[in-house]
Amino acid sequence: MDMSQYRDLFVSESKGHIQVFNELIVRLEDNAPDTAAVDELFRHAHSLKGMAATMQYQAVADLAHRMEDLLSRVRSKEIDFVASLADLLLEGSDTLAAMVSAIEADDDRLPDSTGLVDRLAGFRAAGSPPPQQPAGGFDAEPGAGVRDQGAMVPDHQTLHPDSFKSVRVKIETLDRLVNITGELITTRYRLADRALHCEGAQLDEPLNRLSTLLRELRDEVFQARMLPFSFVADRFPRLVRDLSRKQGKEILFQVEGKAIELDRGILEEISEPLVHILRNAVDHGMETPEQRIAAGKPGLGTIRIVVTRDKDYVNIVVADDGRGMDPGRLADKAVEKGMLSREQANALTRHEAFMLVCAPGFSTAETVSVISGRGVGMDAARVAVQALGGVLAIESDTGRGSRFLLRLPISVSIIHALLVECGPLTIGFPVNAIKRTTELRNGEIAGDGGDSFFSLDGRQVPLRSLSRLLGQPSAPDAGDLVPTVVIEAGGMMVGLAVDRLLGQREIFVKPLGIPLNRIKGLTGGAITGDGRIVYVMDAGALL
Amino acid sequence: MSNATVMIVDDALFMRTILGTILKDKGYTVVVEAASGIETMKKLHDCNPDIIFLDIILPDANGIELLDSIFKIKPQAKVILCSAIGQESIIKKGLDLGARYYVQKPFSPEKIAEALESLGE
Repeated sequence: MDMSQYRDLFVSESKGHIQVFNELIVRLEDNAPDTAAVDELFRHAHSLKGMAATMQYQAVADLAHRMEDLLSRVRSKEIDFVASLADLLLEGSDTLAAMVSAIEADDDRLPDSTGLVDRLAGFRAAGSPPPQQPAGGFDAEPGAGVRDQGAMVPDHQTLHPDSFKSVRVKIETLDRLVNITGELITTRYRLADRALHCEGAQLDEPLNRLSTLLRELRDEVFQARMLPFSFVADRFPRLVRDLSRKQGKEILFQVEGKAIELDRGILEEISEPLVHILRNAVDHGMETPEQRIAAGKPGLGTIRIVVTRDKDYVNIVVADDGRGMDPGRLADKAVEKGMLSREQANALTRHEAFMLVCAPGFSTAETVSVISGRGVGMDAARVAVQALGGVLAIESDTGRGSRFLLRLPISVSIIHALLVECGPLTIGFPVNAIKRTTELRNGEIAGDGGDSFFSLDGRQVPLRSLSRLLGQPSAPDAGDLVPTVVIEAGGMMVGLAVDRLLGQREIFVKPLGIPLNRIKGLTGGAITGDGRIVYVMDAGALL
Repeated sequence: MSNATVMIVDDALFMRTILGTILKDKGYTVVVEAASGIETMKKLHDCNPDIIFLDIILPDANGIELLDSIFKIKPQAKVILCSAIGQESIIKKGLDLGARYYVQKPFSPEKIAEALESLGE
C-alpha cells in the first residue's frame, strides 16, 4: 500500500495533535490536577503513535509511544504530574514537532530521539518509587466509558486538529482574487459582445457554461471575504458606555445578529458611519434619566442594533427609544439655514424631512471637521452607504425614538447601475440612489433666472445639467426631449439632465487610486463589455 | 466485491481516510464516519450500516463502553474493534459484549481483509 499519498494529511493532523498537546501541558502546570486533561494528553500521544506506525515512521511512533506510556503512569496515579515531567513531555512534543517538520520537508534524517526515549522510559519523579513494570507495558484503559453530557466536551478540547484545515490568507490576496474575478466577468461580457458578430460560431453553449462557472467563482471568492458583523460591532458597547457615562445618561445597548456576515470591504466602509449614527443616538437622541422619567418613560434608555439578512442584502437598524425628531422643526431649520425656501420646506414629505439631517451643512457641528478629504457626519454616512450600492433611510416618532435603517448589499464590487451618457463620458449611478428617470419636453422646463425647474408630481423640482456639473461640453441639442435622472439629495429631489440614458447594467466597480479618488462625487470605475470606461458617481455629492 | 455498508468511527481523519480507502478498494461503501462517541450515537440514528469499525480510544468515550449503546439501537450491526492498544483483557471484554473481531493498528489491507472474512463477508 502506497502511503506517500497520505503524508500531507499525516503532517497536518500530527501538527494539530502536537499543538493541543503543548497547550494542555501548560494548562495542567498552571492548574489543579485535571484527570480529563491527562486523559486527553494520553489520547493525543496515542493517536500520534497510531498514525506514525501506519505511515511507518518508526522513530516518531516510538517517541509517541514512550510519551503515551509515561502519561498512562500519571493516569494510574503511579506518578504525579510534576514540573520535571511537564518539561520532559514538552521536550518530547518539541522533538515530535521537529520530526514532523522534517517529514513535511521530505528530509529523511529525522532528529535523533534515542536519548529522550530512554529518559522518558526511565522517568522517576523525585521521591516516587521506581516503576513496578518496565516502561512499555501497555496497561492503559482509557476514558472510563461515556462520560456524562456535561463532561463530554471539556473546553480544553476546543482546539480541534481540524482547525488546521484552514489557512490564513492576506487581505491583498483576496482583493486580487476579486479583481481578477471581476476582470474575468468583464472579459466574458466582451466575448459575448464579439460573439454577436460571429454567427454560426456556436459560442452560446460555452459562453453559458462560462457564465455559470464565473458566477460560482465569484460567489466563492466573495464568500472568502465575508466577516461577521461582530467584527465591527464588538467595539460599540464600549463606545456607547463611555459616551453615556460622560453625559450622565443611562443606556442599555444591545446588538442582535452579530453573526451575520458581510463583505469585509463593506464592513470597513460602514464602520465609521455606524459609529456616527450611534454617537448621534447617544448625544442627541437619548435624554437624561430625569428627562425620560418626566416624559413618563423608564429612566433607562435603550439603543439596539438589529442586523438581518434579506437575500443578497443585509439590513442594519439602529434604533433608540429617545426623544425622536420632529419633521416640522427639521424643515424650519433648513429654511433658517437658507437651504430650502419656505415653499419647498412645506412640500417636504415626512421621509424627506428626516433625510435633511443627511444634507451637507445641515448640522453646523458637522461642517467644520473634515477627515481625509471626506466630510464627516450624517452626510458622509449617506454617501458611504450609497457608494456601496446601499440605501440609508430614517424613521422617527417625536418623543418615542428614531430608527436609522441601512440596507446594504452583502458584497461589494458588483452593483446595478444606471448608465448615462454625458458628453464623451459614460456615467454610472447606483440604481438605488435614483428616484426615477423621465424625459422632459422643452416646454416642461421653466426658467427662473439662471435656474431651471420642472414639475414632478405637482412639485417644483430643480433641474441641473450633468455636463455642466462635470465641466463637460454640452451636447448638441438632441431635439425636443431631455433625458433626466431624478435623484434625492439632502431631502430634496433634483433632476439631472443627461445626454442619453443607456439603461441598467450589472457592473463590477473597482476602487480608484490617488488622485482620482479625491475627485468629489467620483466613487469608482468600471469597464463595460464593449470596453467603455464607466465613471461611477454619487450624484448627491455633485450638487 | 461486497455491497455491505460501513461506518467508520475514529477521531483521526488520517485513520478514517486510510481505512476508507482500503474498504473502498475492496468494494465496500462507507456510508458514514464519526469522530467521537456522541457523533457516533447521533449519526447511528439516521443510518443503518452493516459493519462498524470502532476505535477504542475516542475523545469523549471508550469504544468498549459504547458497544452497549450501539447494540441497543442497531442490534444487527457487526462491530469490528480497532486500536493500537493490544491489551487482551480490554479486547476480550469488547468481544464478550458482542464485537465480532479486533484489528490492531496500524491498518493494512491484509488485516482488514482478515477482519472482513471473519464476518463471513
